[in-house]
Parts: sequence; C-alpha cells; structure tokens
Amino acid sequence: MSSSLQTITALAIVALTTGWLLWRAFAKRKAGCGGGCGCPAAEIKATLKPKT
Amino acid sequence: MNAPGKPPGGGRAPVYAIVGNPNCGKSTLFNALTGLKQKVGNYPGVTVEKKVGIAYSQHGQPLTVIDLPGTYSLAARSPDEAVTRDVLLGRRTDTPQPDRILCIVDATNLERNLYLVHQILDLGRPVILVLNMMDLAVRGGLDVRVARLEHALGIPVISCEAVNNKGLIELKLAMSRPDLPLSRHAWDVPAAIAPAVAELQASLAANEGKSPLIARAEALLLLTDQDSVRVAGSTPLNPRTAEILRIWQKRWAEQGMDWAGILVGSRYDAIGVLAADAVRAGAPTGRTASDKIDSVVTHPVWGWLVLIAVMTLIFLSIFTLAEYPMDWIGVQVAALANWVKGVMPPGDLRDLITDGAIAGVGTIVTFLPQILILFFFIGLLENTGYMARAAFIMDRLMSRVGLNGKSFIPLLSSYACAIPGIMATRTIEDPKDRLTTILVAPLMSCSARLPVYLLMIAALVPGDRVPLATKVGLMLLMYGLGTGGAFGFAWLFKRTLLKGAPPLMIMELPPYRLPRLKDVVLHMIERAGLFLKRAGTVILGISIVLWFLTAYPKGPGGVSAIDHSFAGQAGHAIEPLIKPIGFDWRIGIGLISSFAAREVFVSSTAVVFSVQNFDADHANADITPLRTALRNAHWPDGRPLFTPLVCLSLMIYYVFAMQCMSTIAVVRRETNGWKWPIFQTLYMTGTAWVLSFIVYQAGRGFGF
Repeated sequence: MSSSLQTITALAIVALTTGWLLWRAFAKRKAGCGGGCGCPAAEIKATLKPKT
Repeated sequence: MNAPGKPPGGGRAPVYAIVGNPNCGKSTLFNALTGLKQKVGNYPGVTVEKKVGIAYSQHGQPLTVIDLPGTYSLAARSPDEAVTRDVLLGRRTDTPQPDRILCIVDATNLERNLYLVHQILDLGRPVILVLNMMDLAVRGGLDVRVARLEHALGIPVISCEAVNNKGLIELKLAMSRPDLPLSRHAWDVPAAIAPAVAELQASLAANEGKSPLIARAEALLLLTDQDSVRVAGSTPLNPRTAEILRIWQKRWAEQGMDWAGILVGSRYDAIGVLAADAVRAGAPTGRTASDKIDSVVTHPVWGWLVLIAVMTLIFLSIFTLAEYPMDWIGVQVAALANWVKGVMPPGDLRDLITDGAIAGVGTIVTFLPQILILFFFIGLLENTGYMARAAFIMDRLMSRVGLNGKSFIPLLSSYACAIPGIMATRTIEDPKDRLTTILVAPLMSCSARLPVYLLMIAALVPGDRVPLATKVGLMLLMYGLGTGGAFGFAWLFKRTLLKGAPPLMIMELPPYRLPRLKDVVLHMIERAGLFLKRAGTVILGISIVLWFLTAYPKGPGGVSAIDHSFAGQAGHAIEPLIKPIGFDWRIGIGLISSFAAREVFVSSTAVVFSVQNFDADHANADITPLRTALRNAHWPDGRPLFTPLVCLSLMIYYVFAMQCMSTIAVVRRETNGWKWPIFQTLYMTGTAWVLSFIVYQAGRGFGF
C-alpha cells in the first residue's frame, strides 16, 4: 500500500470514528435510562403491549 | 380489566411482579425464573429499579416477570420503594399493572415479612406466596407449617430455596395455573377508621376511576402514612379525595387519635395470629455461627482491623496474582504491534494501527487481570454477607459526618463504578441525604482509576521492581484519600448547603452464606465484558482520534511532530494552568482526553509517548513499555517529567477530579437538572487542583 493511500485510508478512519464518537455523545437517549436501570428490552416491551 | 384470577385478555403474556422485603432473594428468584443474570447480593438495596424478563410456564407459554425493588411496606419512603408501590398500584405509564404477584418472603423472618404480604393481599390480585430460605429456617430450628399458611390465606404457598433452584418446578406449576385463587384472608379495619376508609375508597373510585379494590388499598395507604403527598407520589390527589382526607385527619387530630398507629397495629395483630399458627419455633439453638462471626467482625476495634485486613488482602492479591497475566498480555500486545510493523510498509495507516489503536487499547487491556481480581473479591464479599457488616462498622463514622447509614451501599458500589453507586442512592429516603451521597459518591476510587494509579505507582518508584509494600501502601493511601474526601465533603455539605436532621440507620444484617462461585464468576465476567467493551469502543475511538490529533498537522518535511500537532497545541494551551501542579503539556493532553473516562488517561499517555518514541527513532519504531517511556520523559530543561512527586500529584488529582462524562450525565438525570452536576464538577476538580498544588509545591519546598 502506497504512502498516500495509507494517509487517505487513515484519515477516512479518523473521520468515521470522530463522527461516531460525536453521534454517541449527542444522540438523544430515551428518558429514564442511563444504561443500567433495567429498562425492558424492545422484545420484552413488545410482550407488555396488548395485542390487537 | 381482567377478572381477578383469570389470565389477562388481549392475548398478551400474563405479567407477574416479584415483590418482597429487601434481601429476601427476589433477584435470585428472578434470575432463576428468567435465566437472566441480574446482579444479586447478600445485602439490602441491590435492586433499585424494576427489571423485566420472560419466564416460561410448564406449557411453554411466555410469562412476563417484573423484579421490583425490595420494600418493607407499600407506604414508600424512598424512590426505589416508590417504584414498587407505583407499579403495583398501576400508576406507571411504562409498565402495565401486574396481573399476578409473586410475594417472596424470608422464611426465617416470616412475621416481619408478612406485613408487606398483608398489604399486597389488599390489592385484590392473585398472589403466590414463596417461602424462600427454607433451608435456613430449618437450620434455625423453625417449623414453618406451609399447609396451615396456605389454608389461612387461601393462596398457593410454595417452599423454595432460590439459590439452590429448589422449589422452582412447584412455583412454575403454580404460575402456570390459568385460574389462581384470590386470597380469602380478611382482616377488620378498626371501627374508628373504617368509615374514613369507605369514604376515601368511594371518592378514589368515583373521581379517579380506580377499581374498588385498588381504591381501598390506596385509601388504607393514605391513612397508614401521615404524609399523604408522599403516598400520592407524582399523581396528586383529586381535590375531593384530599378534602375528605383532610377532614378526617383534622377530626382525629382533635381527638388526639394516632390513626396511622392504630391501622398499623391492627394489621400486625392479624399478622401475629397468622404467624403464631404457621410458625413453631424449636428449642433455642443458642448463638448461631453468624452471631459468633459477628462478635468479631462487628466489634468496635476488631471490626476495623478485619476491614483493613480485608482491604489489604484485596490489594495484595491485585498486585501479586495479576503480575504474570499482565506481563503476558503486555508481551502479546507488543508482539501484535511489531507484527503489524513487519507486514506493513511505513505510513499513516500503519502508525494509526500501531501507535493509535494497539497502543491505546492494548495498554488498557493489560489491566484486565487486576480488574477481574478486584471484582472477584467484591463479589465474594457481597455474596457472603460481609458487605452489610462493613456498612455496620462504618455507620458510626458515617453518622458523625452526617451521612445516612443507607449511604454506605451506594458509596461501596462506587468503588466499582460511580454510576450504579449513584443509582443506588434511590434507597435513601431523605432527599438531602440522598443528594449529599450523590455529590460525594464519585470521590470513592472507582475501578477506572485503578489503571491510572497502577501506571503512576509503576512510574513513581525508581528501579525495575517496585516493592510490594510500597505498591499496596500507595494504593491504600489513594483509596483512603478518596474515602476520607467523601466523608469530609459530606460533613461540609451537611453543615452548609444541605443541612438536615441527624440521620438514623436501621439495617438488617443478613446471615452469612457460603459464596456461590457461579454468581461471583458471572459478576466478574460481566464487569470484564463491560471493561473490554469500553476498551473496544470508546477507548479505541478516542485512541484513533487522539493519534490523529498528535500526528497532524505534520511538521516540516511531512514528519509528525507532536509539539506542532493539534493535541500538542491544546496541551500547550492548558500548560500554564497545570504547570503549578507539576504537569506539562503532554500530561495535559491526557487530562483533556480522559474527561471522557478516567482510564483513557493511560491509553492517551500510551499514544502520546508512542508518538514521541516514533519521533526519536522512526526508522526502528517499536512499542516501548509505557513505564520506561514515562521514566525517559523530560522537561525541555532536561529535568525528568515523571518524578515521584509528580506521580503522587497526578494520583491525587485523579482521586478528586470529576473526570467522567457518564457520571455527570447520571447525576443530571438523578437530580433532574444541570445545577448539581455542574457544582459537583467544579468542587471536585477544584479540590483536585488545590490538593495537587499543595502536595507538589510543598514537596518541592522540601527538596523532592
């Protein structure tokens, strides 16, 4: 791999990673859950809703 | 609404709620039923939010099971107890009211546990009573007559040993029954209070649309607690109901009648009759093994010695047992980096992989064995019941600084991570006590600080091998500083910002149990998984970005020079602020990046100093062990950078500084605003700077 291709690839990885970190930091999280509160998973939530 | 005792309509799975007193085995039963791995511990207050899982009936039908925080009564006094009350009364919009209730009781303390059961029976829902810890009851000489209790209550009563999975088949059979009977147990509300209950019930049913039985249960709760606002929680009472309540309370107050006391007393009378018939105490067995151990472990002098010995043993193990696996991981990480360097031509991508990703993540992963050992011991202490004893002996000290005894468990949890610790403050009734605990919990040294301490301890003492006693002593000092700081600030806050009445602690000491290795190992693996997940996601991401920030913009001739890099410029920008505490701009880069998470400091340092190493010898670049790289780092005038004094100053900085975005986010959520997290960040980081300044400048003054 040439040096310039390495540079382009590395910068692309950095850009993607930065985007992901920013998205992670500012993504709107659902209220009441800090990641360890025991909110039911989506598949369990589905079972809690009455089926029509 | 479904008819009581019948499966719910609409085709959805029946919803079971697991309720019971704290530390009676609810989460263990929940895990056994659902196959999930919720945290369990032999101390009260492990569960502070509802947990939901799926169990399957004997016929393979799904059953939704909700594990609720423990409570002694439905008259909730703390946020976690309010969760239980609100779910059972159908007040939560995110959770359906349970169709059926599994009441789990500690068979060794049946009479006390029956108070909550008695209140639950008022809800008019089918109930299955689970007598847990029957093995301990038998060992304690108690004869619990299950059939008599079943006959008296008219509901299924199942004997169970949740930790040993005994009684689960019988329980699942009962849960699979399509029509569970409603309790036939009735108790007479005292005549003086009965008209008020009837009037409130009618108003709650008419004005708030409650079902008759739920309305009656709420009416009884309103009269059990003097504080009706607390009972109503976030759903204010209808004006008509509030007026009825006020009129009755005024009338009773004029008569000098303690209506709540009469109501509670009447319930206990009914429970006393039930318990007397259901439980026969055997001959006195004398002092139990738990009593004998407690005479030492909770002794005012020996108790402290045992606690210090236990902590010393943990740190000794962390250093001695982890040494070989750490070395092995370090060698593998270096080998991986060298292999990449061997197969790839020089260039930015190769540098990103070796100096960014591998240096950053690899350095953090090296600390995995020590994290595993720490959580293994924490799991052992929780499982055996020693944690509650530690809380007991700490209570005297904590009450002196104005901390609630219930603060101990949140503070203890914070040694692992401040986030569950802050969430565990929901067990604290008094809002000021709860806020005080939230404010000081992040001062307890969490596991994310461990890699920073270990790195600094390794860099601090000259010579190839740091004496074990020095390592353990320094580690104890850091943990002691954090704990002392937490107590000191609690004392300050309780006397200034958050003045309140002296707290009272009532804590039940659970019996000692042999630790369940499965639970301990599962907990350890879970924490290791979280650690590795962070290393593989956030820390990898930050390491990659940091590599870019340290490599770009390139210096003259396309050679990277960290001095000119973005990170270098940021580090130089804050250097005037951190120079008085002994840190240069490169340490500044670590401080900035580790605001995301403390352990990022180690990976950042690895990235920063790997880049420096590359600059020095880019023809034969290699991953220099970080410790050696730190020792070789110098100020521009040639003075060594990481002197013992700077290492100490840095460790003290990390003891006190609020370097964790996740903790700030959780404090914001738990305090409903930004005021307290901002205050917390300022006071903690300010204290960190001031103490580091004092230590560094005093040390310099003494010639270090």
